[in-house]
Amino acid sequence: MTEIQIPRWLVAAGATGMLLLATGMMTQVQASAEPEKQEQVEEGEQASQQQEDVKEAAATESTPGDYTIIDGKVDQGTYDGYIAFTRNCMACHGPDGVGSTFAPSLVKAAERRSFAEFARTIAGGRDIQPGRVMPSFADDQYVLSNIENIYSYMKARAAGDLGRGRPKVIEEEEEEEASEGSDED
Amino acid sequence: MLREMSYAIATMGLLAASVAAQANQNQLELQQNPELWATQLGNYQGNRYSQLDQINRDNISDLRAQWQFSTGVLRGHEGGPLYVGDGRLYIHTPFPNKVFALDLEDEGRIVWSYEPDQDSRVIPVMCCDTVNRGLAYADGKLFLNQADNTVIALDAESGELLWEANNGDHTKGETMTMSPLVVHDKVLVGVSGGEFGVRGHLTAYNIETGEMEWRGYSNGPDDDVLLDPETTMMMGEPIGEADLGVSTWPEGEWERGGGAPWGWITYDPELDLVYYGTGNPGTWNPDQRTIDGEPADNKWSITVFARDPNTGQTKWVYQKVPFDEWDYDGVNENQLIDVEIDGEQRKGLAIIDRTGFGFLLDRETGELLVAEKFAPETNWASHYDMETGRPVVNEEFSTFRQGVNVNTTDICPTAMGAKNMQPSAYSPETGLLYAGINRICMNYEPFETEYVAGQPYVGATLTMMPAPTQDGDMEGRMGSFIAWDPVAGEVVWKKDERFAVWSGALATAGGLAFYGTLEGYVKAVDIETGEELWRFKTPSGIIGNVNTFQHQGKQYIAVLSGVGGWAGIGLAAGLEDPEAGLGAVGVFSALDDYTELGGILTVFSLPDA
Repeated sequence: MTEIQIPRWLVAAGATGMLLLATGMMTQVQASAEPEKQEQVEEGEQASQQQEDVKEAAATESTPGDYTIIDGKVDQGTYDGYIAFTRNCMACHGPDGVGSTFAPSLVKAAERRSFAEFARTIAGGRDIQPGRVMPSFADDQYVLSNIENIYSYMKARAAGDLGRGRPKVIEEEEEEEASEGSDED
Repeated sequence: MLREMSYAIATMGLLAASVAAQANQNQLELQQNPELWATQLGNYQGNRYSQLDQINRDNISDLRAQWQFSTGVLRGHEGGPLYVGDGRLYIHTPFPNKVFALDLEDEGRIVWSYEPDQDSRVIPVMCCDTVNRGLAYADGKLFLNQADNTVIALDAESGELLWEANNGDHTKGETMTMSPLVVHDKVLVGVSGGEFGVRGHLTAYNIETGEMEWRGYSNGPDDDVLLDPETTMMMGEPIGEADLGVSTWPEGEWERGGGAPWGWITYDPELDLVYYGTGNPGTWNPDQRTIDGEPADNKWSITVFARDPNTGQTKWVYQKVPFDEWDYDGVNENQLIDVEIDGEQRKGLAIIDRTGFGFLLDRETGELLVAEKFAPETNWASHYDMETGRPVVNEEFSTFRQGVNVNTTDICPTAMGAKNMQPSAYSPETGLLYAGINRICMNYEPFETEYVAGQPYVGATLTMMPAPTQDGDMEGRMGSFIAWDPVAGEVVWKKDERFAVWSGALATAGGLAFYGTLEGYVKAVDIETGEELWRFKTPSGIIGNVNTFQHQGKQYIAVLSGVGGWAGIGLAAGLEDPEAGLGAVGVFSALDDYTELGGILTVFSLPDA
């Protein structure tokens, strides 16, 4: 895993829920003077604006949520998303993202939420009820650098292209032969 | 009144000074009074049996809920209420670990409540929900293990905080979920965090001051484990070899070797020994725990410890699963029962274990007497070698032999165990144990993982499915309630349930056994036959324990509802049918279809005549 140094100011920004991420690297941070007001903006509009920001900031051509599946095998990023999920999210969000009695299904979350929202919740956390908390992962470099991968894994699960359990990874030659960004099974 | 009583008991204690072991006189006195439920497992022996018989087979159908109390906390409610005779029920909650004293004479009016101030960052390092298995009581004090590793003592009269002690560091993945046990002037506590590469230990604090008195680790050098290879026994012989807690691990791996004792502690006041089991060894990837590529025992994970509560010194050990390959934590309660075996009276120790095996040991020596399957689907081992005390592992289901990055399929039981922490009951009248069990199997795929402090250290992925059914089983069942003969090693009767039975059992002199289900039912069955005689649907799934007590001539049954725990994680969306294709999730019953969150205490009794 690539070592990513996260500056203190960026961690602080994450805690306010305004952290933006792109392609597994933090390349842009948008801080707001009125974070609460901005939170209230209509979901769709806000999300699409941030999506565009993310796209602009992206270092590679892939967009968050992309995945490749060939014969039930997945690309490395989606696989890394599965592993990051099992290490950090599964304890509450259930095996393979299906949810538990106390934490929602992330498969459904990926269906409903934009990448920006998904990333913001992971980075900023969320107070749902007293004693019922989605923690902030703003100071967890491993999770931050895998948010896109987790999102891709959940998108693949939500689309029904990927089942439960640990997927296999596509061999490199296979991947090169495959058409770009396809969802083949 | 209570204070006077404890003075009287203290005096009695002095008079009885010739008795070698004094336990905690106050706690011992309370638990010997059949009207009270003064410790989570009912008595030091862990029997969860009550001599009360006002509620019995003849009138059980009249049992009514008298009042309910919402704890205001969602998520899994394990453990149960204590009743020490002062007209109040003492209950606790999952994180944030509130404590309530409820007036039994005023339908649960809150006499006092206490809520610790804890760092919420402890929540994500709790592997299997933010559960807590309950309070302990002695000498007018209540003891609680907070999730954030703070051990506290409260004045039971006022709820005032008397002392607190720090038992660990949640930023390294250490947490606390287990219920403390008071023995002598010490409160014994264990750490959780087996999925985070913690180094397990059991620690004793002084009940008056909160000062640490001793700590015995589950791994590492003998001086840390508090054992002496010349005198500590294993399978009836001195261990012999020094520092097995180091040498049975690859270089340094014992330092993150798990063995967290997060289950129950039991105590024999005559032998003056405490008993508990340790959890899984470090990572779930067995390959990372080998020496020169061969299985290593990873001592003292998944081991029953018998310790002297005064010093912590280990009298004997029995490792149930050397070199774990399935996450079969050995923390299940050690029931102390006196048995006749081969015409001989023995001081026994019975375990309905995670592994699917029911064990019977001699609790003086640690000698293994019986090891038989109580869950018939159990296939990871064919049997136990009674000479060596080791399981004979079935290579087909050995996740180590099958290899890293290989999905070993259809292993029974699942990592949840054929029985998890839900404590069993024992009736001295029938000589049988009663337990809720899990009928679930798994596929398990180990993979290479790296230790990072405070991060999960698991290294295996697994999927679960209901255990295959046999003739007469309920279709798709994922749990059963069983009566187990610990001497014969046989199931006497069983009653299937839709979901794993994750609640603690109760046996009573009224000819009844009680348990709760994940859908939220409290059920009473005939202790002789298992026939269901009564049920009541509480508002949320039950993973707590059914307790009973008598106040002013009236017997009560009380239980905490509040679905969650590992069962709430694994069964919420239903299990996968391994035969079905993609997207077939939920072909087996999903817990989400039956219950929702909610922390509720329900108190039952018979209507006034």
